[in-house]
Amino acid sequence: MIASFKKLMIGLTASLLLLTIASCNSGNKSSAADDNASANTVKIGVLHSLSGTMAISEVSLRDAVQMAVDEINASGGVLGKKIEPVIVDPASDWDLFAEKSKELLTDKKVAAVFGCWTSVSRKSVLPVFEENNGLLFYPVQYEGEESSRNVVYSGATPNQQLIPAADYLMSAEGGNYKRFYLLGTDYVFPRTANKILKAYLLSKGIAKEDIIEEYTPFHHQDYQTIVSKIKKFAVGGKACVLSTINGDSNIPFYKEFANQGLTAATCPIMAFSVAEDELRAMDTEFLVGHLAAWNYFQSNDSPENKKFVAHFKAYCQKKNLPGGAERVTDDPICWAYTDVYLWAKAAEKAGSFDVDKVRSALLGLSFDAPAGTVKMDDKINHLAKSAMIGEIKPDGQFNVIWKSQGLITPQPFFTLDATAKN
Amino acid sequence: MNTGIRLILCLLLSFLWLGTAYASDDKVGSCMQQVLYPQNDEMRAQALSALASLKPSSSVLRFLEAVNSNSLYLYKDKAVTLGSKKRNGAEDVYLIYQLYPEQMVLLDADAQPLMLPVTALQQVQISRPHRLLLAPLSSWIGIFSMDPQKRTMAYGQVRAVSDTMLINALPLALENETDASALRAGKEAWYALRLNNAASAQTAKLLIDSLETNGGDNATARLRAYAKKAGVPQEAAVYASAKADKLDNHYAWLQRVQHLFSGISLGSILILVSLGLAIVYGLAGIINMAHGEFLMIGAYATYCTEMLFSNVLHVQNSNWFFITALPVSFIAAGLMGLFLEWLIIRRLYARPLESLLATWGVSLVLIQTARTIFGDLTAVKLPDMLAGGWQVSPHLVLPYNRIFIILLTIVVVVALYGMLFRTRIGMQIRAVTQNRSMSACLGIDTRRVDAFTFFIGAGLAGLAGCAMTLIGNVVPDMGQTYIVDSFLVVVTGGVGKLIGTITAGLGIGIFSKVLEALFQAVYGKVLILLLIMIYMQFKPRGLFPDKGRIAEE
Amino acid sequence: MPDKSSKLVTLLFVLFFAIVLPAGHLMGIVSINTISLWGRYCCFAIAALGIDLIWGYTGIMSMCQAFFFCLGGYCMGMHLLLKATALQGQELPDFMVWNNFSSLPAFWQPFHGFVPAVVLALLVPAVIAFVIGFFVFRSRIKGVYMAIITQAFALGMYLLFLRNETKLGGTNGLTNFKAVLGFDLSSSNTKLALYFATVAMLCISYILCRKMMASKFGKVLQAIRDSEPRVGYTAYRVLNYKLAVFVVAAVLAGLAGMLYVPQTGIITPGRMSVTSSVEMLMWVALGGRGKLKGAIIGALLVNCLYSLCTSLFPEGWLFVLGVLYILTVLYFDKGFTGLFDKFAALLRSRRKAVVEGVPSPHAENTRVSHPAMARSSEGN
Repeated sequence: MIASFKKLMIGLTASLLLLTIASCNSGNKSSAADDNASANTVKIGVLHSLSGTMAISEVSLRDAVQMAVDEINASGGVLGKKIEPVIVDPASDWDLFAEKSKELLTDKKVAAVFGCWTSVSRKSVLPVFEENNGLLFYPVQYEGEESSRNVVYSGATPNQQLIPAADYLMSAEGGNYKRFYLLGTDYVFPRTANKILKAYLLSKGIAKEDIIEEYTPFHHQDYQTIVSKIKKFAVGGKACVLSTINGDSNIPFYKEFANQGLTAATCPIMAFSVAEDELRAMDTEFLVGHLAAWNYFQSNDSPENKKFVAHFKAYCQKKNLPGGAERVTDDPICWAYTDVYLWAKAAEKAGSFDVDKVRSALLGLSFDAPAGTVKMDDKINHLAKSAMIGEIKPDGQFNVIWKSQGLITPQPFFTLDATAKN
Repeated sequence: MNTGIRLILCLLLSFLWLGTAYASDDKVGSCMQQVLYPQNDEMRAQALSALASLKPSSSVLRFLEAVNSNSLYLYKDKAVTLGSKKRNGAEDVYLIYQLYPEQMVLLDADAQPLMLPVTALQQVQISRPHRLLLAPLSSWIGIFSMDPQKRTMAYGQVRAVSDTMLINALPLALENETDASALRAGKEAWYALRLNNAASAQTAKLLIDSLETNGGDNATARLRAYAKKAGVPQEAAVYASAKADKLDNHYAWLQRVQHLFSGISLGSILILVSLGLAIVYGLAGIINMAHGEFLMIGAYATYCTEMLFSNVLHVQNSNWFFITALPVSFIAAGLMGLFLEWLIIRRLYARPLESLLATWGVSLVLIQTARTIFGDLTAVKLPDMLAGGWQVSPHLVLPYNRIFIILLTIVVVVALYGMLFRTRIGMQIRAVTQNRSMSACLGIDTRRVDAFTFFIGAGLAGLAGCAMTLIGNVVPDMGQTYIVDSFLVVVTGGVGKLIGTITAGLGIGIFSKVLEALFQAVYGKVLILLLIMIYMQFKPRGLFPDKGRIAEE
Repeated sequence: MPDKSSKLVTLLFVLFFAIVLPAGHLMGIVSINTISLWGRYCCFAIAALGIDLIWGYTGIMSMCQAFFFCLGGYCMGMHLLLKATALQGQELPDFMVWNNFSSLPAFWQPFHGFVPAVVLALLVPAVIAFVIGFFVFRSRIKGVYMAIITQAFALGMYLLFLRNETKLGGTNGLTNFKAVLGFDLSSSNTKLALYFATVAMLCISYILCRKMMASKFGKVLQAIRDSEPRVGYTAYRVLNYKLAVFVVAAVLAGLAGMLYVPQTGIITPGRMSVTSSVEMLMWVALGGRGKLKGAIIGALLVNCLYSLCTSLFPEGWLFVLGVLYILTVLYFDKGFTGLFDKFAALLRSRRKAVVEGVPSPHAENTRVSHPAMARSSEGN
């Protein structure tokens, strides 16, 4: 009797273990079969958080990538193959980002991965992509100081977003601002962005005591103290706020700002992380007149963009996504969408999905994106594009009040000299 | 409407006065005409430059300000700009101020000021290079804006003393100033200008006194700048810095009041969130990790009510939805709590520890459900009655939404005490909290009491969620932000003690704000956590521990 | 005393992880990625053992185990980063260069050597646990108070680690490691070796914990869980025992973190967030609290499920895990291992083969443990 119980336990344990291993490897085997040359699909990975703290921003990017894939598939696919997106949820867990990217590259054998938002998630997957020679398309503005051959950075480098915004505010047209309150969420992008901004402002003759730097933790909700500090600062006149506040802290910040009687007229906020998608749900009354710097706005007046916006709204409605036709596009959504096309175009040009070939095909590639014509740099995987300043309108859209003349060459490693030359 | 009439009167008066200035110069008209309907770009540029170099007059400067701020419109072939804004149903409408040919507020058929949405107007597109022609004026031209806030700002930024154009223009603007705060800022700028050009120490002192009594936002900055200026009489400089110190001292006090208010406001939020947790834990020993999610449900209930009112019932007044949302959120979250209590929690009353795990699971499911239904980004519009703040003094504004939350907390606390100490069910709750089996022996239906308490606890969280929409956004994981803090409050106060929760909530709120003012926000938070840990060294069972036999194991 | 079948199950587990999986890799069935993944799960299992000691056996709910895990991880991460920096011929790690550091902060200096780094990875959590434990236990903070105090501590530390002023890389943490002890981290042999090391450490930790819990020390701990005052009345120094087990749990967490970092390639403050600590408790609760095997099975299974579900059901995995937590608590109150027992009992009753005097497979722990966080005023 005991023997039979023993057998059962052993059997149970063994089957449990085998089951788990088998399930882990099932994807592996099937992908090996799919990798077959005769298969008529090509896989790409989509690595955006669908749950956790970052879902609020990243879900829209997943939708944009999916839409681009559907469009390309509808028009015949790439190199005669249909694109098959493999969507996983890294759940805003940075360790899981690394794990999922390994899975996408080694088990699912995807041709390229589209994903990440935060700088830490990019840093987390970077070694994986370098080790497996993968290709990551990263659609968000970032802090620079990094230029990997395995990452295509389509978001802005500091000199494509921060510097034009600072220049604009210091110009007569922008309001001749002389005093700057640098406010951000405490993580790498705001820290580095503010470091660059500070160096740049000092080099432009702004006095050291006229620049204040302050950081709040993620998900900070209570801005009473900080706004009263800003109010005190603004009393000196010619003051503005450069905000790198991230995600859900923005609404409480702007609400408090308005509640304490500060306005876009008394002290404008130039935001580097507030886009249409964040404004969609906001009560924009308090925000009207405040500014944002991006490389794309939904209100951008071009036929490509009008088509893109209409498609996106129709897509969200058709797929019954939350928000439906009310959904809006913004800078990261635009680049997430553009990325898929860039990859497809490069693959067509290279005649292969091989990462090395696609990479060399990418260099120097130009594309009519919703944000206007953009051009991949000749040496690094960064996009040259124009910068824009938008003023928030009551409907949550931006009025483009300034646009750079021509494309701005990307500078992942920011230096004052190089900017002066540019 | 009194102010409206005054405004119109003033504008009409100014129009009379302006009319003469305008009539005397025929060139102005032709230049404006040229700006509005240019023969070519070159002509428009010339016209703008000409206008900018004319002897300043209100009519011209108003026109140029409209150009500068890109708010020049055409309405029935007349040049107009936007005045004050009002919300009319779904769209914003503006007072329409005509700039050319005559300057006046446009009236409708009933001789009331005409209110129009922007869409009814045709914008005059003036290119950036053309607007840049006004750069010499752009630093102060805002004082001729139609928007009082913008004027206030522009007055505050008046610095250049040598600009004769400005010296001539400032009195023109002040003469027509109708808005109290703009007038204060404008007077301040004017006094400061005169102070900087003051010939004798005697005049300077008089102006310094005027600056002080005027009480403008920038008074101290201007006084200090004056005191530091070279060539100022020693006597006047000393007098100015003394006055500046006095004002600073006054503002520092106001600042302290503001911090105290912020602290009480944060404290009341903490209390509101923690009360439900405290009574549920106190009664049933359930560590409800899903408490934050009831808060989320309350917030979404508020959101749904708003949607219902604006999209289905078409109620324009945004106050009604919020008033309705208060009970709706309480009941929605309460019912959800009741359902979960029946489905899951009631099986766990004997196993308080497992409740932590099960409710954690519940919270995951609820968050994902909310995400599937509502997506990730939603926010509730601030009701009109709670927008803005109570201006106690020019330097102390207490936002209405925060005042409302403080009042709501007081009402909730009083109601809860009333329920617990004045009603039969309250007595039963207290009895079960003290000794479950004894209460059961005495015929109290503990099942019913448990369910009711859970209903109240979840409902309070829902109410807190409704209040939270006033200051933050509505996202699926909004509850997680507050859960750790509310646990801290409950524990610091002494588990299951309402008075402890209230004291701890207020204490933590005020301490946090004071520390935040002294250090940066993050260190303030770390320090408060550290303080709580040290405090627990001395009061290991919270502020108000159980006494007597029930405290023993 | 463990009986034969229980031993056999254990042996099967060991055999499977030590031989079958690696052999599968050599035969090409199992990818190195899967091996690494299970290596990481095993790290979690080591930490779970620690949690089981302190929570399952002693009844102290510590909500800062993820912090100790990260301390170990950061110690190893600092060492690896310094090595990687040296390999690239730089003086300072990248993030320090960006943050305008002129020289290596003093507290980074000891981490140049591998041995000091390993020693510190175990010592730092131990010392911090000792200090925290001393003050907390001395003032007799118990139950939910203990849980919340440790949670507050973990939250405070988490916020500090997020800051760049802490000089540990802020939100981005430490990443971009190249080699450990001179072996390239990206080679599959190194990965396999790390996996073996982890499985070995898991086995050793398990055996040591088992011995510890069977000893008088372990019995006293369980006595403390069941009735602390009575242990005190019988002249045991409760404080010392609690402190000792708290330190042991912290060391286990540190060890786990140390092994985790080279296999994951990154360590960030995200790992020590409040939710991480709660999740760690979940592993143990789901596996079966108060059973060392339960802790291990829980950690392995929950993490495996987490990985699987986030890939298979990217939209709905929270439902799967959430419902699993609820069902486990409601119906299998002793976790997965409790499920085994139920099966066994069912089987035996069906065959009507209950033999007197033969203990059940998990007899050493079948007694229902008292809820550690029960309100003191409420009798059980």
